[in-house]
Amino acid sequence: MDPVAPNGNELLLALLAMGLPLLSFFLVFFVTRPWVNLSCAVSLVCSGLPLSAAVWLLAGHWRMEAPILWQLTWMEGGGALVTFGFLLDPLSLLMLVIVTAVSFLVQVYSLGYMAGDPGKAKYYAFLSLFAWSMISLVLASGLMQLYIFWELVGLSSYLLIGFWHHKFSASQAGKKAFVMTRLGDLGFFLGIIVLLLNLGDLSILGLNQQAAARLTPGLLTASALLIFCGVVGKSAQFPLLTWLPDAMEGPTPVSALLHSATMVAAGVYLVSRLFPFYQGSPQALGWVLVIGTVTMLLSSTMAMVAEDIKQVWAYSTVSQLGFMLMGLGAGGYFAGVYHLATHAAFKALLFLCSGVFIHQYATNDFFAMARAGARGLKVPMLTLTLAGAALSGVWPLAGFFSKETVLAALAELPNPAWLWLGILGAGLTAYYTFRLLFVMWRPRRLEPPPEHGERAGHGAHEGHGAAVYWVMAAPLLVLAALTVLLGAAGPALQSFLAWGRPLPAGAHHTWLVWASVLVVATGAGLAWLEFGRAGAAQQGFLSRMPGLWNLFANRWYLDWLYRWLLDHVVYGLFSRLFTLNDRRVVDGGIDGFCRATLGAGWLFSLLQSGLLQYNLFTMVLVMALVGLYFLLV
Amino acid sequence: MNSLHTYLFIALVLFCIGLFGLLKRRSLIGMLISVELMLNGAGLNFMAFNRFLAPDPAVGQVAVLFIMGIAAAEAAIALSLILALFRKIRSVNVEQARQLKG
Repeated sequence: MDPVAPNGNELLLALLAMGLPLLSFFLVFFVTRPWVNLSCAVSLVCSGLPLSAAVWLLAGHWRMEAPILWQLTWMEGGGALVTFGFLLDPLSLLMLVIVTAVSFLVQVYSLGYMAGDPGKAKYYAFLSLFAWSMISLVLASGLMQLYIFWELVGLSSYLLIGFWHHKFSASQAGKKAFVMTRLGDLGFFLGIIVLLLNLGDLSILGLNQQAAARLTPGLLTASALLIFCGVVGKSAQFPLLTWLPDAMEGPTPVSALLHSATMVAAGVYLVSRLFPFYQGSPQALGWVLVIGTVTMLLSSTMAMVAEDIKQVWAYSTVSQLGFMLMGLGAGGYFAGVYHLATHAAFKALLFLCSGVFIHQYATNDFFAMARAGARGLKVPMLTLTLAGAALSGVWPLAGFFSKETVLAALAELPNPAWLWLGILGAGLTAYYTFRLLFVMWRPRRLEPPPEHGERAGHGAHEGHGAAVYWVMAAPLLVLAALTVLLGAAGPALQSFLAWGRPLPAGAHHTWLVWASVLVVATGAGLAWLEFGRAGAAQQGFLSRMPGLWNLFANRWYLDWLYRWLLDHVVYGLFSRLFTLNDRRVVDGGIDGFCRATLGAGWLFSLLQSGLLQYNLFTMVLVMALVGLYFLLV
Repeated sequence: MNSLHTYLFIALVLFCIGLFGLLKRRSLIGMLISVELMLNGAGLNFMAFNRFLAPDPAVGQVAVLFIMGIAAAEAAIALSLILALFRKIRSVNVEQARQLKG
């Protein structure tokens, strides 16, 4: 399928979407920062227009038949060509709409959430930077361009996670996120180099169409796996998953952005972007499946014991990303992308709802929120329930349909174990989601809201006016509508993503639907028994198993393992060796040179008796010898 | 007897005496005198060569006059250095001036 050049309209719209957030970043950061309201307005306009452009582009190309490609040559030489430009195809258009929509809604919501924060203008500048990096990543036409924006996404999320940098844990979390994702990006970059050296063509279309034919299978698998390392870091997959739960130290709207449309979604997007490339290597897809499965189960168990509302959603994000990768790894391109889209809607909704409660009650513990009377806030409570139901896959919400497509993709695999693991994960998801919902709806006892002091980092809590409440509630309603509607949009999206061609008729598993409904009902029922029904102790079955509880609550000791590796391998081995090298070889070499100079000076100074005549005598002798030499030779 | 070799021999003797004195004497004044002797040996050489070999009788004499002038200047500088040294160490013996010993 050969790409076509964009017409003037498309070029303008795409460049508008790619350019405006950057403009807004520079304007807000360097010019309008002292005027907070002006900065917010600039930023909102510069994220609203890209959203309109994205919707316009999507609507205008609903029946597109060939990808639209516009690119400039950036570097050329030695058989390698690196380009810069944009690529519009169904996947990038869909993702563009998701990214711009979520970032616009988050910016609207932040008007209320960050009201009174002294760094509000700077915060909006960073949000614009974040949106710009992610939009440009989504539209990138080549892998090198994508990598640049990939790193910029990492940078802006670092800035936002550590936004309240005077809080130690926030700055630590920002650093952790940056370093852990960088670890994966190292692999990504090596993968790019392998491709550049062996293929010389980094354009996404080129990779998808020709890589399988032009590379040896070994090289193909190696480069696919190296690129997947970047995905593991960015999408917080096993074993680099612990940065994401810590990343909720940032403002809650940032978590919503980070967990749904930008940052972590970039990893899954990359695999979907290069899906035909990955299909060339069954081993690489197998690894994607394995990593996705392990991550999904591991982080679901962590979510079962978390008591911090944002932490529950963070673990659930990790597990849902794993679920998407399972779908992609099983060969279900549409399954992964569809789940990415629906997840973006309901996970943004979940975080934004939680943000309202956190803003109101100044606590992250949902038991405490419930006791303080969280269910009195009708809009966030209802939308939270809706999004939670979507997350656990309740009919007829979006999550149900996308989960079904992923499970259907898993059912195509010859080994039924993957399907059962997927269904098990769905059950765990339902359990931890309904655990939280029941706790929120049915608190054991209501307390009068405690007089909370200023919690570090939450800005001013004065002025919880109705205006602030509704500014924060409006995006919730929009996202809730999306959560409901995206479920019905499944078939349309599927034909859009398949370029309008007739779909391959996959086997339809009616029993699969019933099995997953049964599992979800079981998970929800268990949560009801333990947390929901009148007189329930609100203690999970896991609290009777301290061993498992500790394992899950300590994140399977992954952080402990990292610390151990850091202490013993990095600090204990590499740092020690490098320090030794520094002390012995570098410092020692310079010291030795100095000592040798001093010693030689001392040795030669022995010749100096201080008596004039010896010097004179030597001089005469030398002159005489020189004279003799000239006389004789 | 009145030949070039005679003068050259006398000049050589003068020079060697000066050199010997320069190396042997421990008094700076003595060393200065020895240097003057060496200079005069060199001057005599010039005169002898001029008298016996050069067609133009003026060149050698000019050179000798220069040597004499430089010797006078050198004596003035050397004597002032010696005086300065004497003020510092109350002696003109080089064995006393061994501060530069390594």
